[in-house]
Amino acid sequence: MSKKVFTIKFAGPAGMGIKSVGQLFSKILIAHDFNLSDYSEYPSLVRGGHNTCQISFSQDKVFAPHYFIDILFSIVPNHWPQHLGEFTKDTLIFSDEQIDQINPEFNQKRKGKFLSLPLKTLANEIGSAQVVNTISLGVAAYLFNFDLELTKTIVCGFYKNFCDLNARAIQSGYDYAKTNFSKYKLNLIYKPTTKTTDFYEGNEAYSLGFLAGKGDFYCAYPMTPATGALHFLAAKQEAYPNLKVIHAEDEVGVANMAVGAAFAGARTAVGTSGGGFALMNEAMSLCGVSEVGVVYYLVSRPGPATGIPTYTAQADLLHAINSGHGEFPKIVIAPGDIDESFEMGYQSLNLAAKIQTPVIVISDKFLGESSTSTQDLTKIKPEIDLGDIEKNPNSDYKRYQYSQGGISPRTIPGTQNGQFLANSYEHDEYGFSTEDATTAKKMFDKRNSKYKLALKLAPKANLFGNKSAKKLIISWGSTKGPILEALKNIKNSSDFAFLQLKTLWPINPDIKKIIDGFKEIIVIENNGTGQLVSILKSQFDFNPQKIHLKYDGRPFFPEEIVKKLNN
Amino acid sequence: MPTNYRSSITPTWCPGCHNYLVFAAIQKNLSDLNVDSSNLVMNYDIGCAGNFADFFKTYGFHTLHGRSIATAMGEKIANPNLFVCVIGGDGGIYGEGLNHLVSAVRSNINIKVFVSNNFLYSLTTGQTSPTTPKGSRTKSTPTGNINVPVDPVKLIKSINPDVFVESVDNRDMVKLNDTIKRALEFPGFALVDMIQECVAFGKQLNS
Ligand SMILES: Cc1ncc(C[n+]2csc(CCOP(=O)(O)OP(=O)(O)O)c2C)c(N)n1
Ligand code: SF4
Ligand SMILES: [Mg+2]
Repeated sequence: MSKKVFTIKFAGPAGMGIKSVGQLFSKILIAHDFNLSDYSEYPSLVRGGHNTCQISFSQDKVFAPHYFIDILFSIVPNHWPQHLGEFTKDTLIFSDEQIDQINPEFNQKRKGKFLSLPLKTLANEIGSAQVVNTISLGVAAYLFNFDLELTKTIVCGFYKNFCDLNARAIQSGYDYAKTNFSKYKLNLIYKPTTKTTDFYEGNEAYSLGFLAGKGDFYCAYPMTPATGALHFLAAKQEAYPNLKVIHAEDEVGVANMAVGAAFAGARTAVGTSGGGFALMNEAMSLCGVSEVGVVYYLVSRPGPATGIPTYTAQADLLHAINSGHGEFPKIVIAPGDIDESFEMGYQSLNLAAKIQTPVIVISDKFLGESSTSTQDLTKIKPEIDLGDIEKNPNSDYKRYQYSQGGISPRTIPGTQNGQFLANSYEHDEYGFSTEDATTAKKMFDKRNSKYKLALKLAPKANLFGNKSAKKLIISWGSTKGPILEALKNIKNSSDFAFLQLKTLWPINPDIKKIIDGFKEIIVIENNGTGQLVSILKSQFDFNPQKIHLKYDGRPFFPEEIVKKLNN
Repeated sequence: MPTNYRSSITPTWCPGCHNYLVFAAIQKNLSDLNVDSSNLVMNYDIGCAGNFADFFKTYGFHTLHGRSIATAMGEKIANPNLFVCVIGGDGGIYGEGLNHLVSAVRSNINIKVFVSNNFLYSLTTGQTSPTTPKGSRTKSTPTGNINVPVDPVKLIKSINPDVFVESVDNRDMVKLNDTIKRALEFPGFALVDMIQECVAFGKQLNS
């Protein structure tokens, strides 16, 4: 292989199967033992507009999609000029246009080789205008030297009832490329370094983690980019008879139903994005005071308000940490990749059960809706922590008994002698309302003391790279992939270490010790104000030398990070 | 022997408040039906009506204002074996939380909702509520309420005629008991709208 990572992009209007062709390409890659990382962009529309799906792949691990593309397919004409900036001199641009028909202004600006691909004519020969995406896939299969029969089998498995049609489309693209583009063929030799078994979107991985963690109540109101988890879990109810997935009337209903379900004994999560999460705030506060453990899967998108619904941002970190009125313990954790999305799916349920308080898993559109190849997540059987449950309470059972560490065993409704009042008012050890000053303070202290165990159990930070380097990059969440991919490609990679915070609240004091071991601190965040910086500043003396922010709705690409680190 | 659902806390409503009647009637009928208090979950809204919470000793949830039905639905869906009830006021159930009521009625979920309908927000000292008659002067509508009131029975029946919904005047104790009994026995969603006068703030409604 001459080049380590290849990047392909499919572009076209919504409704033309851009996502499908991307997914198929990924499936074919997996069958050839490639590693991959993908990224899709789509407008908040059902038809029209400009959709893209790009996939970076390699025989080594690919942590994030690359910015510069090697091959672009414009599925219908004119869906490539949007990407002029992503072309290099070697980029191949396939489109169903003659070069003399193209707007000369674009053509002049463009780098790369423009190759005319008569998709419409080929599709008409096959007898369906719909298969232009599959024909492009046939061209790609030829260029990347994929096994033609394997490619057809995968495409057939995907399109089931339209197997024959799509198999012919693959053949047509393949043959056309063989005749016309043979000089661009990449004679890839397959020498896999790892065995990849599947690829997952973050939302899927989170949902699989939720199921592996014996999650049995998931409640949501559709909101991009969290909806993937609702769809995925709703479809699992047949296979998991105890699982209840509810699409409730609004997010206020979602959050309050979740409180009831968790109180009744279910391992419960809700899913939403920023706007819906705002509506859940009062119920989260209720969980805090009544000590009911609920998980909030918050998949961010750019705000304020409706914002840019189908794009990405890490702009809700402070919102998550400060959510819910009043003061109560809360745990905020952020997965950085697909495997961590899976892990936090069950870890969050364990934490909610054990600490009996709200747990927020904060992801974003980039992580939630992008895929990366990894191990078979369905095979993993995590440890389940149901928390402290009182099965045989005595006749004077106190649900909110003061205790060392603040955790009092709970009873589940149905348990004899376990009756108690869960209360949104401040309450005594039985749960009955109180306005007594001494009790109010004692109850606050009891709840707050749970932070100690939370700190012990919440996921620890990752430290990557050269631990004795001078420079430390600090980040959280979905920027992990682009940062690791940048460090893989940057020349002076041994100059850097990278600290990925997985628990954003409470902040572990050990973080300070790690940071103090480095001379130069560089923070990278996908938001406009440096929210992690504010949080760390609130905890200890923290003065990063550089803060790199991005807040245009797009994720960081590794190339951008390399450039920033080199500056 | 009747089942005891009482906590040791003495109720705190105004002397003469109809909620004492409601409290007695609900306890009697739960006991007549032999509902096991360890399998019973009472959900309380916020308001004077929600203040039943401390006086019962069953599994209970004193929820948020308007959200008691949503919380109750979560419990019932998570564990259908539980006997799940809601007690709230006209403000919480027909106002703040109306969307949850609509949702529960549409699904005909087997929960029992008891509404102390006193035509006012009483705990907050007497403002207009969704059932306040048009023209009534309240603290928040000193020149008279301009809105027509919600008719809960008509509203609910128009959404789903298969659920149980009846209005009853609390002064008719026999009818109140009978209605609560039938609601508790109904194999689906049941709501009893219990018409009552708030002795502290109700006078202004007729002024
Ligand atoms: C979100 C929220 N908004 C407002 C309040 C204040 N509040 C408490 S009770 C109440 C109204 C109660 O009226 P109703 O439900 O009819 O009960 P009543 O007191 O009349 O029995 C209000 C507005 C609150 N507790 N929570
Ligand atoms: S204010 Fe009205 S509703 Fe509240 S306790 Fe007094 S009489 Fe009853
Ligand atoms: Mg009222």
